[in-house]
Amino acid sequence: MAGLAQVDEAPSISPGALGSMARRQYAALLAMRWRMVVNSVRSVQGAFELGARGVAFIIYSIMGLGLGFGLGASAYYSMISSGHAQLLSFLFWAVFLVWQVLPIALASFQEQFDISGLLRFPVSFRSFFLLNVVFGLVDVPALLGGICCLGILTGVTLARPDWFGRAVLVLAVYAIFNIVLARMVLAWIDRWLAKRRTREIVSAIFLVMMLSLQLLNPALHSGVHYQHPNHAAAKRNQQEYWKEMKPWAATAQRIEPWTPPGMAGDALTQPQIAITPLGMLGLYILTASGLLALRLRREYRGEKLSDSPAARNRNPNDTKWLIDGSGPVAAVIEKELRMIPRSMPLLFAMGAPLVTVLIISTVIRNAALGLRPFELAFPLCVCYALLGFTQMIFNNLGAEGTGIQMLFLSPTPIRTVLLAKNLMHGALYLIVASLAGAFAASRLGQPDLLLLAMTAAWVLFALPAHLAAGNILSLTMPYRVNLGRISRQRGSQASALISMLVQVVVMGCGIVVFELCIHFHQRWLAVPSLLVLAGLAVMAWMRVLANADRLANRNRDNLIATLAKTE
Amino acid sequence: METPAIKTQGLTRCFGALTAVQDVTLTVASGQFFGFLGPNGAGKSTTIKMLTGLLEPTSGTIEILGKPFGANALELKRQIGVVPEGMALLGRLTAPEYLRFVGRMYGLERETVNRRTEELLEFMQLANERRKLITDFSHGMQKKLALAAAVIHGPRVLFLDEPFEGVDAIAAGMLKTMLQGMINRGATIFLTTHVLEIVERLCSHVAIIHQGRLVANGSIEDLRAGVASTLPGTESEQRLTLEEIFLSIVGAGGQESPQELSWLA
Repeated sequence: MAGLAQVDEAPSISPGALGSMARRQYAALLAMRWRMVVNSVRSVQGAFELGARGVAFIIYSIMGLGLGFGLGASAYYSMISSGHAQLLSFLFWAVFLVWQVLPIALASFQEQFDISGLLRFPVSFRSFFLLNVVFGLVDVPALLGGICCLGILTGVTLARPDWFGRAVLVLAVYAIFNIVLARMVLAWIDRWLAKRRTREIVSAIFLVMMLSLQLLNPALHSGVHYQHPNHAAAKRNQQEYWKEMKPWAATAQRIEPWTPPGMAGDALTQPQIAITPLGMLGLYILTASGLLALRLRREYRGEKLSDSPAARNRNPNDTKWLIDGSGPVAAVIEKELRMIPRSMPLLFAMGAPLVTVLIISTVIRNAALGLRPFELAFPLCVCYALLGFTQMIFNNLGAEGTGIQMLFLSPTPIRTVLLAKNLMHGALYLIVASLAGAFAASRLGQPDLLLLAMTAAWVLFALPAHLAAGNILSLTMPYRVNLGRISRQRGSQASALISMLVQVVVMGCGIVVFELCIHFHQRWLAVPSLLVLAGLAVMAWMRVLANADRLANRNRDNLIATLAKTE
Repeated sequence: METPAIKTQGLTRCFGALTAVQDVTLTVASGQFFGFLGPNGAGKSTTIKMLTGLLEPTSGTIEILGKPFGANALELKRQIGVVPEGMALLGRLTAPEYLRFVGRMYGLERETVNRRTEELLEFMQLANERRKLITDFSHGMQKKLALAAAVIHGPRVLFLDEPFEGVDAIAAGMLKTMLQGMINRGATIFLTTHVLEIVERLCSHVAIIHQGRLVANGSIEDLRAGVASTLPGTESEQRLTLEEIFLSIVGAGGQESPQELSWLA
């Protein structure tokens, strides 16, 4: 111990991100991450989690390969067909969407290392910045985006082998742009969601965006009507539609070349001017890097997002209860009611599917162009709203943190706690599903009474089925959730995979029942069939609740270790 | 005059409308064992976070070992050690793995890291737990490990936020010996704790923060003399304990006693 209080002759400090000190730190981080993976296999849950990650990796890779193959084939086609080279820009748009939209959608389910914990060590800002970008390379959107880029590269090279070098350069620059942009967007979103004022602004923008999407379709189709159930009328309508779309398309055509995907497309297809769009892409990278650096610089200097008090000043004497009654069910519901509005990620998770429902229902309506949209469009839109509740339902104890110990210490059975949470989440889902139904109806047209009854019966089946499976997963595969952040969550791949599986099965059951009844021209039969399934699901849910305490006690150590102990 | 180990001028930190630390100006001489006291929520941890570069001050300046923190953050971080409020351990590593990780993050040579890891594990009586994951450690064991990680690079200034909380008496005694040894070798220790006996026994100088403001600063003897002179009826030979000094300065004696909780059994 004689060496204490003697600072060692460590390598001289250079601010470079690749200096000897920085390289040692990267090696230490790599070793630490590796040891964490190895140690995670010590417990059954850890091994299962690792296996689930492997399965998820395979699934995502297959998805990526599918996407990559499609994009590669499209790139090949656009290169060999004269006059279609500009289609490449659309392919770059597809890559852009994969890379930028998926990170927010998947943020809650992926384990992300919080690099701000490294700030107590002598890590230079450049290393901190580099690490932030590098950690962006090891997530699903980067995997999919990378495969997509490889697909385009393969397609282009097969069509024009002499373009290989240029394609590598353009795609590499485009990939760097997407990585930096995705990190920048997530960093700023976390910042905005941490402060009340900016959170309210973001909420307002989100609301305006939803309303805009709602109004966009009527604006685009002011003179088009869809009451013609025959093909001739549909064709006429289609012509009218494209006529009305022409000015919009012309505007988009003028703007598109200045966007990053447009620049990447131009850089690839127009060798004579390739330097200019590549330079512009470089400028985009610099801008995104600058904005990311601006955010990370604040964090590096010691800004703590979680330390920012977000609550409004309230009257300390205000002890008004939201729900009357002093029973534990009322207490848990009240707690949830107070916590959910304070968690922007949860509100976004609930609200985002509504935007998607608007878009999907509009697309379905436009695709039908005068014909009746397909039968299942309305119920599918309603059940899609359940996606926003995935984390809330399948990890309903995740936000408790150290409070989980209080739940075990209190004389209230876990069964009661879960019942209260289920009632709360169920009620919230019914509200969101009603909104999704209203949105879908506004785009797809009023559903008939039978379709409405079928949808309601499906909801009655899906909800308890989800709650039953959710309670089991919450007790057996919990993971800690920070309700104040979108990125840098701990996540659980195993839980995400199983919840996805449950959702697919529940949705599949509904589709099979619907399709069979439609096939045999007995649509009415879908309602009692789904009600029978609903009855079974309710019984399963009640059985899970009845056994919740036994399950909770059996997994008590794991629950406390995961939610309350050192991360 | 020797360069002070820690020097702050007008240090202030606001969280929205709340001012957690206000205009704190203090100087800690090199080689001093400095106690930083205050009631819960007084601003102790916020001050430590600012002094160690984990939290940006709203205003004011910080100098560590004679250098302003902002411009020399990287160099200074190599010379300070911290046991932060939440310990900041990585639960899914074992103790040797964690210590090796921390040592390498400070740029130590591999052999040095390995040697010190073993020495620290032995010293902290964690050598028999080398295969156990940190998440399975007791609170006291985690505290000892956090302290080991804070000193593995031989810091010249050590910041300790409640280091003895949950540590057993035997280990606490050893830790005190280790800290005293560091002081003897010229290190500076900045300690916050609610255990005033420890401060009284170890620290030569004390500062007291209350509601974000520094309300006392000096040697324990100076504070004792100052408080004694303000208390009527205190005999000069009557030696005030640090607890009495603390309660007198933060004004607990002047506060109305809370209503008795008659419903308690």
